[in-house]
Amino acid sequence: MLNLKQIKFFCIGLIFYCSFITLEIQANPTNQYQYSNKKIRIRLLPRSPEQIAAFYEGRGFSKEMVNKLKQVCFITTGIHNKTQQILWHNLTYWHFTTKNGDIKRYTRHYWKNEWEKMGIPLAHQSTFRWTLLPDALDFRANEHEGGNIILPFTAEPFTLTARFKTGKDKAGMPIEIKIENLQCRR
Amino acid sequence: MPTLTGRVFFISCLLVFSAPVFALNNAPAVPVGILTLKPYPSPVVALKDIDGQHFNLKETKGHWVFVHFWASWCGPCRKEMPAIQSMWNKLQKEGLKIALINTSEDEDTIFEFLGVYAPNIRALMDTDGRITDQWRPRGLPATYLVAPNGEVRYQALGGREWGSPTYLNFLRQLLKQQ
Repeated sequence: MLNLKQIKFFCIGLIFYCSFITLEIQANPTNQYQYSNKKIRIRLLPRSPEQIAAFYEGRGFSKEMVNKLKQVCFITTGIHNKTQQILWHNLTYWHFTTKNGDIKRYTRHYWKNEWEKMGIPLAHQSTFRWTLLPDALDFRANEHEGGNIILPFTAEPFTLTARFKTGKDKAGMPIEIKIENLQCRR
Repeated sequence: MPTLTGRVFFISCLLVFSAPVFALNNAPAVPVGILTLKPYPSPVVALKDIDGQHFNLKETKGHWVFVHFWASWCGPCRKEMPAIQSMWNKLQKEGLKIALINTSEDEDTIFEFLGVYAPNIRALMDTDGRITDQWRPRGLPATYLVAPNGEVRYQALGGREWGSPTYLNFLRQLLKQQ
């Protein structure tokens, strides 16, 4: 028979075991993609239409707006400049390609036109803009920023290649990254 | 071996000659994650708070102002807000002013959020996001420090531990300059 002390040790052990399992699951979500080296870390998290709908409906966006956003491919992106120098981010130098060719990213300009055509309130247009990854930013030492990139939906796997200039005058060694086998979520 | 008198003389000279350097260079030590900007006139902040009272940044001239942009849906904003409340509890009485600007959300959302995270700070409502756009933040959250002469002097990168001694000391050094 187990005494009270042994039961207590068993319970504490079980709690530790469960918390390690939980940590491992959180650290390795199956749909997350990551590129990391000494200079940069990029994380990409494709979102499902349900996640997108839940987020924007929760902010009071109209059904029409949410339906439009559910049709496309959202990728929540985080960038971390791990260096002590400036890292120049510019979406112009990000390319998404499938084996059949380029995927053209939806720009801020595209969405602005769409929302204006649909008569979307300025507050919702503003919130939407702030959820997007900045088009360009001079990432300072150890700075993190993030936001969404939006692509037309594709069922095919695709590859991201991106290039970052570095240094105060952009003359430093550029950083090039490649992440393969990305997938939109459905 | 230098004598004791020699050492005292050397240290005295060092103090005497370095004093003007310290006097000239009275800029505070800037903590990690704070950018020192080339000063520029602050963009407009003329907004109503959640109770319908007007706030105009122009009327805070003569004080350092902590200008902060946030939204309830932004994870780093949620994480940072208690630190801002903690900082505000300490520095409000020391002369700091604050403009806590919500970007594009409604009164109910702001009320519910701040009730939990920062119940003692007056919330300003940038209902259509136009004021936020004029400040051109790098992202949300965003914090700027505006000097008593109305110039933007510092910008924080992302969320900061404003309630920690490092940031409190930095802000206190700024307040001593006013």
